Amino acid sequence: MSSIEPFNRLVKLVARAFYDDITTKGDNQPKSGRSDNRGIAVVVLDALTRRQWVREEDLAKDLKLHSKQLRRTLRFLEEEKLVARDHRKETAKGAKIYSAAVAATADGQPFAKEGEEKIKLHTHSYCSLDYAQIYDVVRYRIHRMRKKLKDELECKNTVQEYICPNCQRRYNALDALRLVSLEDDSFHCENCNGELVAESDKLAAQEGGDGDDNARRRRREKLKDLLQKLEVQLKPLMEQINRVKDLDVPEFGTLQAWEARASAAGRAANGDSSSNDPNKSSQGYGGTPMPFLGDTKVEVAFSGAEGKQVDVKSETDSTPQKVLPPWMIKQGMNLTKEQRGEVKQESKMDGSSATGGLSDDKKSTVEDDKASLQDEYIRAYYAALLKKQQELDEAAKNQQESSNTPISDGLSGASSNRQVGMKSKREEVEGDDDVDWEEAPVAGTTSESFKVHDLNVEAEASAEDEDDIDWEEG
Amino acid sequence: MFFHIVLERNMQLHPRHFGRNLREHIISKLMKDVEGTCSGRHGFVVAITSVENIGKGLIRDGTGFVTFPVKYQCVVFRPFKGEILEAVVSMVNKMGFFAEAGPVQIFVSNHLIPDDMEFQSGDMPNYTTSDGSVKIQKDSEVRLKIIGTRVDATEIFCIGTIKDDFLGVINDPTTI
Repeated sequence: MSSIEPFNRLVKLVARAFYDDITTKGDNQPKSGRSDNRGIAVVVLDALTRRQWVREEDLAKDLKLHSKQLRRTLRFLEEEKLVARDHRKETAKGAKIYSAAVAATADGQPFAKEGEEKIKLHTHSYCSLDYAQIYDVVRYRIHRMRKKLKDELECKNTVQEYICPNCQRRYNALDALRLVSLEDDSFHCENCNGELVAESDKLAAQEGGDGDDNARRRRREKLKDLLQKLEVQLKPLMEQINRVKDLDVPEFGTLQAWEARASAAGRAANGDSSSNDPNKSSQGYGGTPMPFLGDTKVEVAFSGAEGKQVDVKSETDSTPQKVLPPWMIKQGMNLTKEQRGEVKQESKMDGSSATGGLSDDKKSTVEDDKASLQDEYIRAYYAALLKKQQELDEAAKNQQESSNTPISDGLSGASSNRQVGMKSKREEVEGDDDVDWEEAPVAGTTSESFKVHDLNVEAEASAEDEDDIDWEEG
Repeated sequence: MFFHIVLERNMQLHPRHFGRNLREHIISKLMKDVEGTCSGRHGFVVAITSVENIGKGLIRDGTGFVTFPVKYQCVVFRPFKGEILEAVVSMVNKMGFFAEAGPVQIFVSNHLIPDDMEFQSGDMPNYTTSDGSVKIQKDSEVRLKIIGTRVDATEIFCIGTIKDDFLGVINDPTTI
């Protein structure tokens, strides 16, 4: 889950870019004053970046929203494929499992709420962000935006439409064969035999093109302008998408899977297994057994582990070695002998392939040595890395300070260009975040110092986020 | 695009054809019935290349007609979106021009004709560049790209564009 922070940033950028003027009100209600809830999608998405699976009632309480309003927003976000939701009927006990899971992920404290034992089913809804899908959806959305503009710009792949001025009936070029008339060389309406006029493209139609040539040129300019604006305004978002591209997506799984995992983790941390065993309370889900009883996750211990784990691993390593046919072992030994002359400690493969000759015991000690060696190396490497990072940070800060004022001036000068990050003023929950979001596009313009500075910012943001959670729950 | 595929059809044959030449009769009737038709699924049937097999006939009650299931190989032509075709212009008007590539009719509307070509009316309506070097009129050969198809059960109609690289007139009839 270490890669979650860039994804959260992506979600925040997306929220501000595409969903900051979404209102979930019906059309019949007046949109003024207090009832104006634009930007609510941004608030909800931001809140979800700080949670995993969350019960919607709890989220509503945290955000101080009416649960109906929240549900409407969430339904919209679900339709937009940003949010995964799950509904289930459960007793108070079933809800307790979830609460325990939350407690486990939050701070490892055992949850001590007394649920009534009445068997009464309530439908509870849960929601979480679906990062993998968000990534795809956003890329697709941007691709469609670009393609549409480019197609219109080049008049490519557009099917010409024709409209009858008399009866407003519409045709397109695929109907052309039926529309062509014998007496003159224009198209005629099937209905009223009126002469059809070509409908110029939608954007031109809005402004009511006068001269045919003139209108076309003006439309081209407008489109080009639009495309350029799109590129500029979505630049921070695109950068974030590119950065996220090679990271593995944080995956919460389905609600059940997540709960099982979280509570298992919590139990492992606390050492208490009695209170909320999913086995015992599984009838709370309406009789369906939990699919994730045994945690099948395979833990791979890397070289930082203790000698004990290495021991176990060496044993498991050596077992398949024994099954190998003799001719294969021979070849392996030959190979290692050659290599041993040159490189003493290359990788575990060397050691394990040599086990045909070595005893288990000996091998584990060898690996142990190797592990400690690697450990030391890694520690030294990180120390060097940290040092370098700090140096870079300071350099970046200096640069930022020196270059901050002229850039921000330029930004305010060109404020007619709506920046993606600029809209965050509307937030109610966390005013602190404003700082990052306003800074992000500025940093984006100086692309050289962007990365370093950005890392810095994100670290701060995550710290604040944790603060936020504490404050809300306390 | 052309395909060589196997199709099947039930042929109804009048009893008077029954005799030594039954097979020939079935095949000639098949050719007459099928060649040149269009189905939305397979496209235009251009030619039958061979008959794979003629099944057992079934006598229809009451009429004496016999139905034979016939399997035959044929060449079909099916236009696709994005395909490049060469076509002969059949009609030019101010909305664009119609062209034919074999059995397929293609319409190129005037906004998919390059911007530098202007419509010239007259007894031989045409589209001409400002310097007069390129002219599209009836019987010109053009290379075009299909950008949309309408496929009905029994007909296929396409719209094309010549507003792209390497598209346009490939052979002007007046210069021959």
